[in-house]
Amino acid sequence: MRIDKLGSVVWKVLVYVGCIMLSIVVIWPILFTVSSAVSPGRSAAALSPYPFASGFTWDNFSYLFTETLYPRWFLNSFLIAATTAVGTLVFASLAAYVFSRFRFLFKGSLLTSMIVLQIFPSFVGMIAIYVILMRIGALDTLWGLVLVYLAGNLPYSIWLVKSYLDTIPRGLDEAARIDGASHFRIYATIILPIAKPILIFLSVTTFAAPWMDFIFPKLVLRSPEQQTLALGLISFVSEKNSDFTTFAAGAIIVAIPFMIFFLFTQKSLITSLATGALKE
Amino acid sequence: MTATAASTKKLKQGAAPLPDEVAGITRKRVCTFALLFMGLAHIALLRQKWKGFAFALVEVVFLVSLPVIIRNVIGLVTLGTPQPQLPIKFRENSLFLLIDGVITLAIITVFVVVYWISVRSALLDYGAGTRRQQSSAKQQIAAIGTRAFPVIGLAPTVLLILFFVLVPLVFSAAVAFTNYSSPQHIPPGNTVDWVGLDNFASMFGGDQMWTGALVRVFIWTTIWALLAVSTCYIGGMILAVVLNESKIKIKPFFQAIFILPYAVPAVVSLLVWRNMLNGAFGAINKLLMNFGIIDSAVPWLTEPNLARFVVVLVNLWCGFPYFMLLTMSAMTAIQQDVKEAASLDGATGLQRFRYIVLPLVLYQTAPLLIMSFAANFNNFGAIYFLTNGGPNVADTTVTGAGATDILVSWIYQITIGLMKYNYGSVIAILIFLVLAPFAIIQFRRTKSFKGEM
Repeated sequence: MRIDKLGSVVWKVLVYVGCIMLSIVVIWPILFTVSSAVSPGRSAAALSPYPFASGFTWDNFSYLFTETLYPRWFLNSFLIAATTAVGTLVFASLAAYVFSRFRFLFKGSLLTSMIVLQIFPSFVGMIAIYVILMRIGALDTLWGLVLVYLAGNLPYSIWLVKSYLDTIPRGLDEAARIDGASHFRIYATIILPIAKPILIFLSVTTFAAPWMDFIFPKLVLRSPEQQTLALGLISFVSEKNSDFTTFAAGAIIVAIPFMIFFLFTQKSLITSLATGALKE
Repeated sequence: MTATAASTKKLKQGAAPLPDEVAGITRKRVCTFALLFMGLAHIALLRQKWKGFAFALVEVVFLVSLPVIIRNVIGLVTLGTPQPQLPIKFRENSLFLLIDGVITLAIITVFVVVYWISVRSALLDYGAGTRRQQSSAKQQIAAIGTRAFPVIGLAPTVLLILFFVLVPLVFSAAVAFTNYSSPQHIPPGNTVDWVGLDNFASMFGGDQMWTGALVRVFIWTTIWALLAVSTCYIGGMILAVVLNESKIKIKPFFQAIFILPYAVPAVVSLLVWRNMLNGAFGAINKLLMNFGIIDSAVPWLTEPNLARFVVVLVNLWCGFPYFMLLTMSAMTAIQQDVKEAASLDGATGLQRFRYIVLPLVLYQTAPLLIMSFAANFNNFGAIYFLTNGGPNVADTTVTGAGATDILVSWIYQITIGLMKYNYGSVIAILIFLVLAPFAIIQFRRTKSFKGEM
């Protein structure tokens, strides 16, 4: 009995020590970034490895907002993310409704091809995408980038929403159809409200993704005022520049909303992972 | 009074509508008409004037644009002829010819599909006996409106996927069979030619340097993907189990901390890590030297094997929270009474975990491992932002492949850096062949797939 108790105490101590050590490993880079953001100077070479040991200043933030196009990049990223999320929701839910409730020619082959398409790393087609965007005058525009994102998002999103709709009995919309409701009315007043949980999941993921994407913005957007947040931030720490403190300041402004969101939604995040990912 | 109306009148006066066969309208005849010209059967035989006109319009548009279509197909075959006498601006651009050709092929395919649909629709309408019913133009248009809902609902999706996913993919697959590469074959200055399987031949054995690099990168990509998935999975699961089972008081506190890496955008954490791991001025080396653990700077990201190891570790930092959350959500699904029953039967904590929790969690999360393997196989960011593929090895100057480059990041180096698009496309096809089975296995087991196929 005493050995048991001793064992459980040792176990507890081990768990605590392990968790604390891991916490340090997890938090140190984050603290380091925060402290870099408020450190004087530009380059990372001068920074102390201990957080907040290099002094304190708001200079990097004022530099970010006055000397760089950071606010503009933020707006651009926001517009891209919002339009992509809304577009994905509308098109994916419409298409998923059609796939889930209608029978038509080539349905099976369309579905299969969508699955196969989405495993190709999308940027291998970037030369072609570049030329197509050039042909329709969408180079260096935000809507051109949105089109690329939409097309990339749709296959998987449609699949996700369709899987969800398939679990909902058809009786509901069939009753409305008998009452003479049009397809669009059924879609808008019955299907959309029912699909709300999966659509929320989808809107969060599609809204979050474009903020930090790199390859396509780099391909499509050229002029300085059309850059996205990720491009701008990366340009601070590229080969030519080494402006780590400004990068850190810009990065935490983006990361903090994400972190707050995640901390507050971790409970529902766990359940949404369970519905979204575990039980397809 | 139109002819149709007159004939309707005649029909109405008759005692009963004549069977279609007597009127000389057989299934075979409908089929012939439908095949002859799109919509002809609807107009001439089936009294579906509006539908017929809609179909006929598609064919008319197609026929009118036939010269352009033929020109584009020819362009696709020849990819332009060299015109060194012309200024660059006026030379034929093989790139445009190739893309226009691929788009044209897509349009031809769509046309064939619509043709097929029109013939089927004619035969269906014949079977349904629309000829014998009188339906007004308004009814027909309304019917088309209802029938067209799926088409309208899918049209934006299909168009977007066609032009921004399918055409680019066919294009890059086609590039693998051309000599589109720097320095001799870069449009608009020069043309590109079809070279058959030459690129595959030199990548798979013909050119020693490239073959060597391909084998090396392929092996590392596979190892990387396996390590990335297994470390994150095992690490995340251990944490979830420890946090859930050990009943420590401040569990929510630790859980909140451990979620943080998941919440930080990956690009940001990777770039911060790159900075901290910098051999010359990185915070990690400074700290270790301050503590006297190391005497000289450790080349974290510049020594090939160490860099590979560090890349996996940093990926673990970024990736374990996802699997921790996943395992936690799988564990909440395990009913408490199952565990309690096991405890009553005298199972120890370890036994409970080994025989009840672990199998159930594995069963639920295993399918996601497949997805995760595929995602890490193509995890461009993890490599590009941390090491940019480096450090260089013997063949890097020629092939562009650094020690930590995986196939996708290598494609980026080959196409953006070396402009050897033909080799990049060969690798893209290779990735596709490796990953396609995973995707198909993954989706075949989902319920919604089983319902449809």
